[in-house]
Amino acid sequence: MPSPIDTLVERMARGLARRVSRRSFLGSVGALLFSSTGVPLLPVARGEQPTAAKPDQAVDPGDPQTCEYWRHCAIDGFLCGCCGGSAHSCPPGTEQSAVTWVGTCHNPADGHDYIISYNDCCGKSECGRCLCNRNEDDKPLYMPFKSNDYNWCAGSKVGISYHCSTARVVGVAK
Amino acid sequence: MLAMGCSPLAGQSLASKSAGLTPPVQANYMLNCMGCHLRDGSGAAGKVPSVRESLLALSGSAAGRRYLVQVPGASQSPLSDLELAQVLTWMARNLSAQTVPPDFTDFTAAEVAAYRRSPLVNVRQTRARLVEASDFDKSRGPRASATSAQ
Amino acid sequence: MASRSTVIRPRRAWASAALAVAFCVCGPRGWAQLPPEPADVTEQLAVPAGPHWIWVNDVAFFAFPDGKAYLVDGDSGKMLGMLSTGYSFTSVVVPKAGGTIYAPETYFSRGSRGTRTDMVTIYDAAHLQPIGEIEIPPKRASVMPMPGAQALTDDDRFLLIYNFTPAQSVTVVDMRSRKFVGEIETAGCALVYPTGPRSFFSICGDGALLVTTLSDSGELARRARTASFIDVLKDPISEKGVRSRDTWLFASFEGVLHPLRATAAGVEAEPSWPLFTKPELAQHWRTGGLQHLAVHPGSGRLYAIVHQGGPETHKDLGDQVWVYDFVSHRRVQTITTRNKVGSIQVSQDSQPLLFACSLESNRLEIYDANSGKYLRTVEALGQTPTVLVLP
Repeated sequence: MPSPIDTLVERMARGLARRVSRRSFLGSVGALLFSSTGVPLLPVARGEQPTAAKPDQAVDPGDPQTCEYWRHCAIDGFLCGCCGGSAHSCPPGTEQSAVTWVGTCHNPADGHDYIISYNDCCGKSECGRCLCNRNEDDKPLYMPFKSNDYNWCAGSKVGISYHCSTARVVGVAK
Repeated sequence: MLAMGCSPLAGQSLASKSAGLTPPVQANYMLNCMGCHLRDGSGAAGKVPSVRESLLALSGSAAGRRYLVQVPGASQSPLSDLELAQVLTWMARNLSAQTVPPDFTDFTAAEVAAYRRSPLVNVRQTRARLVEASDFDKSRGPRASATSAQ
Repeated sequence: MASRSTVIRPRRAWASAALAVAFCVCGPRGWAQLPPEPADVTEQLAVPAGPHWIWVNDVAFFAFPDGKAYLVDGDSGKMLGMLSTGYSFTSVVVPKAGGTIYAPETYFSRGSRGTRTDMVTIYDAAHLQPIGEIEIPPKRASVMPMPGAQALTDDDRFLLIYNFTPAQSVTVVDMRSRKFVGEIETAGCALVYPTGPRSFFSICGDGALLVTTLSDSGELARRARTASFIDVLKDPISEKGVRSRDTWLFASFEGVLHPLRATAAGVEAEPSWPLFTKPELAQHWRTGGLQHLAVHPGSGRLYAIVHQGGPETHKDLGDQVWVYDFVSHRRVQTITTRNKVGSIQVSQDSQPLLFACSLESNRLEIYDANSGKYLRTVEALGQTPTVLVLP
């Protein structure tokens, strides 16, 4: 069985280190909130399929509703894919903030580093589902163009009502 | 990360679907500037200035060019002097609402290096003063000639 | 307006009757009897605050319009009271004189939408009720809470609030006249770190500092940038600095401690020193969390939350707090926390407590800051506790 350090080093080498605790947090707070009010934890079945297409696994692997999805390498917030939107679209009734910060994430399916625009969806209360925070190459607040600690809805037309975050492919760095 | 089954696109990449690598200068714009100034340079009213008129307006004078290099978003970016020169040039040539005049001079690394070491503190007032003072006619371009009317 | 909390027990009619009979029959010697309690009793806090009290700010990440600040007595482990502080709440700011508490706040006219209004709310420290509001430009930075997002000048006269739209500026509020003074552009630079009664610095994107000096009435007198003193691409300092007397202490991502000392001329970078030895760096030790440093100037001790991980884990929680003598730069102690934590604070008295919490649990853990001994946990403090502030 590998030592904790070996596992850690392996994860770092693969660039897949992430904040596990964020995902378990959602579970624990979710239980706190939902069990006390009786609201079911699982999503209510919907009559329609989401409008956003499922990713093509051969070129866009993984599940966009998980924190480990490759595009989420530096995201901070609720995943719009869990909120009625998708990795690149906003849920109904929210408005995409065009102003945001832009980073790069490595796509393991094709080996490219994609330029990812982390546009937020704004205009109503936080979605509250699928909270995810990863910080690959994230920088402090004094380098805003590389910081995910800002509520980027500030730059939107509807203001800082933050709902969820997308991870939109806008280019290929290498 | 399980594959969802056979796909006719197996063997291709997301990159090739989206027509290949982004040219490096454009990629630098995306990573360092686009988040605030947006894809077309229009910014956000009251929050982020549009560059669609000001780039050409300010590129016509030494003071204006110095401003474009010294504004903190440019001067503080991780780009090298050459990369910054290339991005500024690309922006002026690709994001401007007006036709780029034939006498527009590309930015050079040396020029950027000369200006860059003193980032601007008084940004808003400097910009307003320079844009006001520039000869640039928004509706007609830098030269008052009929051919540039939009 | 809250009455003293009571436990309500449902009574059945026969039980009431039996009690009444017993009262009449047995009299005071045979039965213990609760006297009726007065209505409309509201608790009041002592002023000044106790040395072991702590404000636990809650950004309420799952209920963004409902930010809160909880006041806790670290000795008894009891909650003393709280403030309701609105949308995307960052932190209370407490003037040294006591008696009042300030909170920069944001409200929407329809809760999570509508017209945005920003204000500094002034609370009475004994009654925890708002006694005043000063409206400010609706630009207050909506960010992961950090102490550097708002601060008082050293004489508590002016409250400085970092704005981000994404244009960067600082709002200045005169807390003596309770008036908005003005907004100072700080382009390319973020946050506010006071250095004197009329001065503060911000950190710029190229690793320089912007030093701003105010006039006596709080208007802009001077702004000047220092040279860049760090390589922000290789090893940036985190924004989460702490202050010991005239020196701000910032840890870089790779654990280099940068002291920044306020001088008459501005700010000087003192020689930096490493928090981690070479072997420790090789084992990937680093700081992490939201408020990862705390300092006790009286004893010269610096506390840092640490964990093992790669550079992308610079915000991750840790279950160890390493204690340094910040004069000799030597590590003098390791405190192990019961659970992983991301925020710490140390009371400033001679028997200090170490407070610790995290975004990922709503409990506050309390330790003896000298011995490291675990003392107690206060449960159920809000939703996503962020920064800990001493009153």
